[in-house]
Amino acid sequence: MSAMPADSRHEAVAEEAGAVTDEQRAWARGLALRYSLTSTAILFAAGLMGVLLRDSQANLGRLHDNFWYAMMTAHGLAAFVGWAGFAVMGFAFWVLTQVGVPLRRFGRAMAEATWWLMALGAVGILITTLIFQYAGSWVFLYPISFHSAGHWGRWTNFFFHGSVLLVGLSIVAWSVSICHTVVGPALHAVSERVANRFGVALGLGYLWPKRFATNPKSVPYAVIPLAVIAIDMIIATLPLAVLLVIMMVESLSPGVTVNALVAKNILWWFGHPVVYLLLFPAVAIYYYLIPRYAKRPLVAGNVIAIAWAIAVIANVLVWAHHIYLDYPQGSIQASLNTAMQPVTFALTIPSALSLYSLGMTIYRSEFEWNAASTALFLGLVGWLLAGLSGVVNATIVFDNQVHNTLWIVGHFHHMALLNIGFAVFGATYAFLPELTGKKLYSDKLGKAHIWISFWAGMGAFGIWLIEGLEGAPRRYSVLPARWDTMNQIAVGFVLVLAAAQLLFAANVVQTLRGKVAKERTGREAFAAVTSPAAMMLVTLALIFVGGIVGWVIGHYTGHTKTVKVGAATPAAGGATGAAGAAATAGDATRGKAVFASAGCIGCHTLKAAGAAGTVGPNLDQRRPAYALVVQRVTNGKGAMPSFKGRLSDDQIKDVAAYVSSLAGK
Amino acid sequence: MDRTATIIGIAYLVVIVVGAVLALVLGNSTFLRKPIDREQVERREQKWLIVVVAMLVALLFATIFFAPYGRSAPKDAQNVAVTAQQFGWIITPSRLKANVPVVFTLRSKDVNHGFGLYDAGDTLLAQVQVIPEQTAQLVFTFRKPGTYRVLCLEFCGAGHHQMVSTLEVTQ
Repeated sequence: MSAMPADSRHEAVAEEAGAVTDEQRAWARGLALRYSLTSTAILFAAGLMGVLLRDSQANLGRLHDNFWYAMMTAHGLAAFVGWAGFAVMGFAFWVLTQVGVPLRRFGRAMAEATWWLMALGAVGILITTLIFQYAGSWVFLYPISFHSAGHWGRWTNFFFHGSVLLVGLSIVAWSVSICHTVVGPALHAVSERVANRFGVALGLGYLWPKRFATNPKSVPYAVIPLAVIAIDMIIATLPLAVLLVIMMVESLSPGVTVNALVAKNILWWFGHPVVYLLLFPAVAIYYYLIPRYAKRPLVAGNVIAIAWAIAVIANVLVWAHHIYLDYPQGSIQASLNTAMQPVTFALTIPSALSLYSLGMTIYRSEFEWNAASTALFLGLVGWLLAGLSGVVNATIVFDNQVHNTLWIVGHFHHMALLNIGFAVFGATYAFLPELTGKKLYSDKLGKAHIWISFWAGMGAFGIWLIEGLEGAPRRYSVLPARWDTMNQIAVGFVLVLAAAQLLFAANVVQTLRGKVAKERTGREAFAAVTSPAAMMLVTLALIFVGGIVGWVIGHYTGHTKTVKVGAATPAAGGATGAAGAAATAGDATRGKAVFASAGCIGCHTLKAAGAAGTVGPNLDQRRPAYALVVQRVTNGKGAMPSFKGRLSDDQIKDVAAYVSSLAGK
Repeated sequence: MDRTATIIGIAYLVVIVVGAVLALVLGNSTFLRKPIDREQVERREQKWLIVVVAMLVALLFATIFFAPYGRSAPKDAQNVAVTAQQFGWIITPSRLKANVPVVFTLRSKDVNHGFGLYDAGDTLLAQVQVIPEQTAQLVFTFRKPGTYRVLCLEFCGAGHHQMVSTLEVTQ
């Protein structure tokens, strides 16, 4: 049982926390709890979407293509920012308060604004994607929003980009709140100058004690990563905010455009640091909680300050490692990309040193193994895994191989779930009793959740790494058949992973209700054997069974797949609605692909498809009906060849649906 | 699996096995109840920093010169124009010769696309991003005759996964 009163656990910080008033602590409790519960709710929404996405890829309940991509967009934003980011942002306020750096009035206002902006933005994103079918992926690479293949319109664009803007502003508000808090009197910086106080918050006092003097105590380590990321996120987010505003304007007045390459750089100028918006507050959590369970202060020499000094600069100068394979002629992108490989390498130093410090803090300590500390320990393992696959991505010649394959997806799920997510789980188990004043419902249930999640996650994400090395592309609603079997095996892991989160939900809900599990109740019987080795075996067995079941189901449904190509969605309704025979008519989206790849473009003019051929009839002028297109494509006429045999019947229906819906527009 | 992918796979496997052993040693050490010499461990952190930097510098110099940028093609190269658009590739010519370098010149008509070159077994051979308003170039030499596939490797919309074309390579 670890659900002992939190106060007895950390004498180490009791003195530091002495400077915080009861009112300040009570306020921070309420705020952190609100962040925690909201983000947990988003976790369940995002997790459910993840399960549906992967089931669909394994052909268990195939979703319509655009809906799959819309859900992918929602899943990415919700899981990454709405859950993991939101959660660590909230816990950051609690960690600061606990190390004796409470928020002051303006900081509090900003922290409130952060919550509201994020909540509103998250709701907007869920509505515009899941209901209004925005499916440009979370990176919405310009100008994809404005080439929706008829699936979403300008108001959806306006509100989607507006919702993302709210999320961006939320991040800025959070950063301002943190900056305001760390330059306050609580750090005991001697200097009155704001710049010097920022230096103190960044830990520079560990390198230059006189220049960045504090009296009497040095800066708590947990403050440093928070100060670093708060400064960086302001720099990183503002250009994206401008881009989002321009895209909102373009949604309603199409004349306004942006250079696609510049937009791509701006997106990643934000897109890289936002990963560290998750990582660095998670590091603050590790810095704060690992010493608590190891019962000794963090093992960190002054050298760790060097790491964070590198981080604050390098973090905003590595964005181009996401676009190593963009090197168009006559641009400076290739030089920029080359320069960013060493800078990205430098950015691994904060991770390498932090892992050393945290590992050595645990090493030969009297570490208390409970649900929270187990989650944090496994989170460090996840960090190592994600860091190592990250070094691969950071290396141009390797990225050339794995870029936009499922390897990347495996990498960032290690990062987002096994590292950040586990820090969030650990912090939830550790902080929930402190925030609510109630004991944790069951530590054993928590351990079961953590161990099952770890191994199921290892399986589900490991499969992505392997598929990626084989060249499997990412962001495919339907993967080439070669990967069917592996996708079906993955479903087993995914379902176990999802089921494990129900244990987490039960634990949180019961804790909030003030319940405490009795020893060895029926509910806990299965979790009675909680030695790591036994848990490992049980989990592997579960995963194995799950994998087989998943494979069997997938295998059989796979062979009876009757993917009605003609199943048009409401979004594509314009394409097939006229005929009123959606079940038999083709799918205009697929038809667009057929039109482009079958060679139609070479001979016909169809403005909507960008085709300007003059060999055959101008389709914009002729505006052929659906049946006529099917007839001509199948049998040919004059110079028009017959495509019977070259295209399947379904493909012909698709291209007919596409042409008949768009011609003349 | 491609050669580079094999190298990545083996290297990653080796380091995670090392990492797993370290994690087990670390976890197990908490049951030993033997305190550490704090000052010594903190001194070692500086050595660890030096080791990390040395490894990163070594990896940097071992790899940076193989970046795919600025590759030039010989005069006798085969020139292929590729136009990417939702959701297809227009490749002219699409019949090519083996063992003669090919220069793909790529443009996009609408959104970002990724030109991913796969062999018949769906192994990824080469890729480059195609950005609107820009011209990208990829130099590649096919070693074996046969049918090759081009897949889109940058998300481009609802038909992204259907954006597939083929290339015929003859002796």
